[in-house]
Amino acid sequence: MSASLQETLKGTVHSHTIIRVPDKAHAAMAPFVLLLVELAGGKRVLGHFAGSDAPVIGARVTATVSQQETPIFAIEETP
Amino acid sequence: MSSKVHVAGVGSTKFGVLPGRNLQSLAVEAARAALADSKIPPDKIRCVFVGNFVGGIMTGQELLGPIVAADLGLKNVAAIKIEAACASSSAAVNIAHRLISAGAEEAVLVVGVERLTGAPRDALTTAMTAAIDQGTEGGAGLTFPGFWGMVMARHMHLYGTTREQVAAVTVKNRRFGAGNPLAQFQKPVELEAVMNSPAVCDPIRRFDCCPATDGAAALVLTGEALARQFGSPSVGIAASVLVNGPVRITDYADITTHDGTVQAAQRAYAISGVSPEDIDVAELHDCFSVAEIVDSEDLGFFAKGEGGPAVAQAPSARNTKVTINPSGGLLSKGHPTGATGCGQIYEVVMQMRGRHPNQVANARLGLTHNGGGTAAAVTVHILEALS
Repeated sequence: MSASLQETLKGTVHSHTIIRVPDKAHAAMAPFVLLLVELAGGKRVLGHFAGSDAPVIGARVTATVSQQETPIFAIEETP
Repeated sequence: MSSKVHVAGVGSTKFGVLPGRNLQSLAVEAARAALADSKIPPDKIRCVFVGNFVGGIMTGQELLGPIVAADLGLKNVAAIKIEAACASSSAAVNIAHRLISAGAEEAVLVVGVERLTGAPRDALTTAMTAAIDQGTEGGAGLTFPGFWGMVMARHMHLYGTTREQVAAVTVKNRRFGAGNPLAQFQKPVELEAVMNSPAVCDPIRRFDCCPATDGAAALVLTGEALARQFGSPSVGIAASVLVNGPVRITDYADITTHDGTVQAAQRAYAISGVSPEDIDVAELHDCFSVAEIVDSEDLGFFAKGEGGPAVAQAPSARNTKVTINPSGGLLSKGHPTGATGCGQIYEVVMQMRGRHPNQVANARLGLTHNGGGTAAAVTVHILEALS
């Protein structure tokens, strides 16, 4: 995959959950953290988290993502 | 207030785990009860609407409209299934209300039915997730407990809503369910049991979730003249509203405020000329315990952030102006998705008649609120006692 098709997302955690009872398509991943992240400018995206415990609401997170992929966020800064 | 459309008759099966029953038998049982209750001759029924969400996925059965009509012995009628996820049958009520209000029909039978038990849990979760946009959020693994887990986490963050307050909703509704013979759960539960139940989608726990339920409920809707002609035990529909709301969690301006519910409620209050303070009893969509808190705020019963303290301070809910979910709600009566909307109206009709097992004293005005998907299809009905 070309690096030019990737972009970096930065935002803050708006809310979170840990999916412990998934649908069939995500059964192998569970449990996994889902984040609702507010990006600069106010747009929100749904993404996964690179960790087993959900970050606090307001934590700054970042992800490098390709189009059509679910972003996988990591902590940039915790308030 | 002048209700031109009446709920002339109601019927319901028990809600719960009902092995050996198929969709048709449940629907027909409820429909026959509603027709008998209404005293309306079956040959007056020209439309049969069947509200159902996942009959095809869970049982392999579709074409429920013609099948249910045929099994009732109704011929040459307009018979179709209407789907709006968990709001399927209340959406069907709204369409019937529009037809009768416009004078296009004089009597419509609306049936809601669902079979959800007996399947593996991941199969049920997958079926329910069909009401999440699969092109975006379904692909990320969002489920309905996950959606409400995010709403709960945000509500706690913004308003200081506590784990105990949210658990108090389940305790209250289980207590009500214990008094309702139609309810799936017939035993109360303690606060500690709710808070210590296994995590499903943090901070949602098992006892914060409504159960998988089988069941059916049915209503006969008529114009005022027909109901009077046959002496139906009518309750008036003062307002019937169906609106859409955001279909993705990323589309919400504020995930703790559900625009579909707010808009539907405001329109229903305007149509009926009443305010939230006038409502005596409400059956609202508590698919998860925190949903009752959010919905009770969005319907205008409490200010934003006060829904949690309200339920914790009045655990019997009988010493507040509005009694919420005296049926036991989805949490305790159960949630046979396609049947839930009709089931809620059944409960409020019984309250308006003064014949509910958990009767609210002097109840004259009732409200139902039913949400499909991520509150993407929302109905609000306001019902009035006529006698």
